[in-house]
Amino acid sequence: MSVAILTDITRCIGCLECVAACKREYNLEVDVPRRWQNNDGLSAENWTSVLHKPGPHYIRKQCRHCLEPACASACPVGALHQTDIGAVMYENDKCLGCRYCMMACPYGIPRYDWDEQVPYVRKCILCHDKVKAGGQPACTSVCPTEATIFGDRAELLAEAHKRIKENPGKYIDHVWGEHEVGGTSVLYISDINLDFLCYKPNMKTSLPTTTEAAMKSVPVAFVGMGGVMLGLNWIIKRRQKLKEGEAPEGDEQ
Amino acid sequence: MNRVHVVKTILWALVGLGLAVAISRFAFGLGATTNLTDATPWGLWIGFDVMAGVALAAGGFVITAVFYMMRRKEFHPMVRPAVLTAFLGYVAVVFSLLVDLGLPWNIWHMMIYWNPHSPLFEVGWCVMLYTTVLLLEFSPVPLESTSRYAKIRTFLMKFRFPLVLLGIMLSTLHQSSLGSLFLIMPFKLHPLWYTKILPILFFISAVGLGLMMVSFESLVSGWIYRKKPETHLVAKLGKAAVWVLGVFLIVRFVDLGIAGKLGLIFAGSWESFLFVAEILIMAVIPMIIFANPATRNRVGWQWAGSFMVVFGAVFNRINVGGLTMVSTTGDAYFPSWMEFAISFGVVSFMILIFLFAIEKFHIWEEQPRELEADPHAKPRFSRAGEVWLGAPAVAGRTKYSFAFVLALAIGFAIMPGKKLHSGGIENVPVEAARGGDTLYVDGNRDGYGVAFKHEFHIDTLGGDQSCVRCHHMNMPMDFASGCFNCHSQMYQAVDAFKHDWHASPSGGNVACNECHAEGENRTAASAKSCESCHTDLIPAGATIEIESYMAPAYTDAMHDMCIGCHREVNQQRAELPEQKDLALCGTCHTTAGPEYLRADVRERLKRPEFNRVVMPGLSLEDGK
Repeated sequence: MSVAILTDITRCIGCLECVAACKREYNLEVDVPRRWQNNDGLSAENWTSVLHKPGPHYIRKQCRHCLEPACASACPVGALHQTDIGAVMYENDKCLGCRYCMMACPYGIPRYDWDEQVPYVRKCILCHDKVKAGGQPACTSVCPTEATIFGDRAELLAEAHKRIKENPGKYIDHVWGEHEVGGTSVLYISDINLDFLCYKPNMKTSLPTTTEAAMKSVPVAFVGMGGVMLGLNWIIKRRQKLKEGEAPEGDEQ
Repeated sequence: MNRVHVVKTILWALVGLGLAVAISRFAFGLGATTNLTDATPWGLWIGFDVMAGVALAAGGFVITAVFYMMRRKEFHPMVRPAVLTAFLGYVAVVFSLLVDLGLPWNIWHMMIYWNPHSPLFEVGWCVMLYTTVLLLEFSPVPLESTSRYAKIRTFLMKFRFPLVLLGIMLSTLHQSSLGSLFLIMPFKLHPLWYTKILPILFFISAVGLGLMMVSFESLVSGWIYRKKPETHLVAKLGKAAVWVLGVFLIVRFVDLGIAGKLGLIFAGSWESFLFVAEILIMAVIPMIIFANPATRNRVGWQWAGSFMVVFGAVFNRINVGGLTMVSTTGDAYFPSWMEFAISFGVVSFMILIFLFAIEKFHIWEEQPRELEADPHAKPRFSRAGEVWLGAPAVAGRTKYSFAFVLALAIGFAIMPGKKLHSGGIENVPVEAARGGDTLYVDGNRDGYGVAFKHEFHIDTLGGDQSCVRCHHMNMPMDFASGCFNCHSQMYQAVDAFKHDWHASPSGGNVACNECHAEGENRTAASAKSCESCHTDLIPAGATIEIESYMAPAYTDAMHDMCIGCHREVNQQRAELPEQKDLALCGTCHTTAGPEYLRADVRERLKRPEFNRVVMPGLSLEDGK
């Protein structure tokens, strides 16, 4: 089963109940504004936030739980990995703190405990344990207007397209997260353009495939370079031998 | 003072400064020492120390390939320095990684948790293996000075050729895999640099750089020890570099042409400027210098040419590592002085080890003479001239130690203690809203603030005696507590009762029964309520009821100022459904600044994004 969250921007009133529920659920601490934070409200202590845009429009920001997550592909030790329900989880015990996941995320989601001596990467984990137990994420369970709802990804996609179709003119005809970077588990429908959520809008590339060719050619390059060097050595040695009549044994350094 | 002394003194001072910063980095964390942010998680330590460090170590595999594989015997004098430089380069990379990683004690996890999809996994393994290979490759040199280890040395010498071959193969992987790291960021890296053949470009440029790094290192170390420069060898390497850099340029531009990105070079943007500078410094100008026989054989031109390639390649790695991502992330990162101090400290330490090895071991064909003055030398009396010939004023090692300790002390002295809190509660801009007691507090310093009722807080906290509860009580030099000190958890009620602060004036350890009922467990439940002592705690007409020891949560405290009345009015108007929106969130949380603010403050509020709180009309009913 692949689960998803659908957020309907036209329904959000910006009450921040989802943010509060998330903080309660994971006992997140005081979030003092810091130099290293972006002004999108996300931080190591805020795993979801609500952006304000003129209108007013309220856009909830959180980890998109990509179907093909770049962060999990980038992590050298597999501390970030995708679970069977589609959530991208993080394991404290494996992480070595290289922050490659933060570089690789097209949405700029993962945050770091910059002020800790023992820092970890922090982001939304789609309430994996609650979902596994048959529940739903803390944020969607408290939304008073059902602006953000939880369910099966295929069903929510159908619901999103249904809403767009039934309300002509109300929405922009696009479901954010349906195809971007190979599809994400967190979907949006909206009456304003949400391209600003991603570093590069409308990017269809699945990011883990970008490094695949290079990684697959590693053994070839390794053995190939060895072969080229040995061959070069053999040819030149032979040539020198022919030239000087006798091989000078000169392998001292 | 001679050159060696001056250079070493400076290097020791840099090592001292770096050590002071390294200690504070582990004591206070990355946020306290670096300028890294969530948008720029990789900075100078990755862009320069790791990316450029590995590139600069390329000399080792290039020269061993030329000497052992292509059997060009004339380069023999350069092999040992090059292998040593490569080894020290990798040790520097490992040092910097240990500082940069958030959890450096977990670095060995790469060995047991495998993710072969990750280019960084490949990079990690290459660093581990190649550093080991370089150590085995180089260790016969120090071992030859004593006969005790002759057997180990002979054993290692047997595997000389396979080790060299393995080193070249690992280097090929490692140099290119640093380019593969950035393949996953097509959205971040500027199109002029992002290409699918980035690993290949990294490898070719590493070969060219390797040739020139060996030349530069030979010229510099020769200069320090006043040795005759190896002009003829540098000229030969330069000639080879022209070909390699030529191939690099062709591949680079053909790739750009196929992708149709050549137009971007003339876009006049920040990136196109970086691109032109990089290509000129790293390839075009050095190629002109080394292609021309008149300049190729002159020491001065060799200095210039080799330095340009080295500088240009480092520049290229830094560009890919972050400089060309700035316009995408919108985060103008510039390293803090402490990041520079660590980088320079690590490099200086490696140079010192290099100089030490040159003086102690048989690195050069002709060992430089012992330049260290005897630290304990006494003045000598010359019988011929009947004068005292003084010992060197301060012997070398004494000077180095002094420079090192002094820099260490200075490093600790100038370490900013408050960087951790930057952007926090210090120097919070507070504006008095026009004509009233209400203050406008911009706690996040983002141009948006909240209305703060000063008199209301004085009243609820205990009148004239209560200043100390917010002002200069938390820390020395702390002017005022931030809102969150009491309204601590944004979304939870929070305990604002300071137990010790109450216990002490009541009589300390014997005064428990003053508040807690006798015989009961001494918990919050068994204690008196606040207002039984603080009879004036709640002024008449206060909207917030103090029921326990909890201060209202931040949001509640803010909302209670307005929302109560709004709800009341709402109820009265229930028969008028179209007026119901009076208590909706969007009624207050609008994007425009309140009318009552001064014009310049209102100007700042025009930023469109992320309006946290603006409370229109608050002071109109309240502030006068």
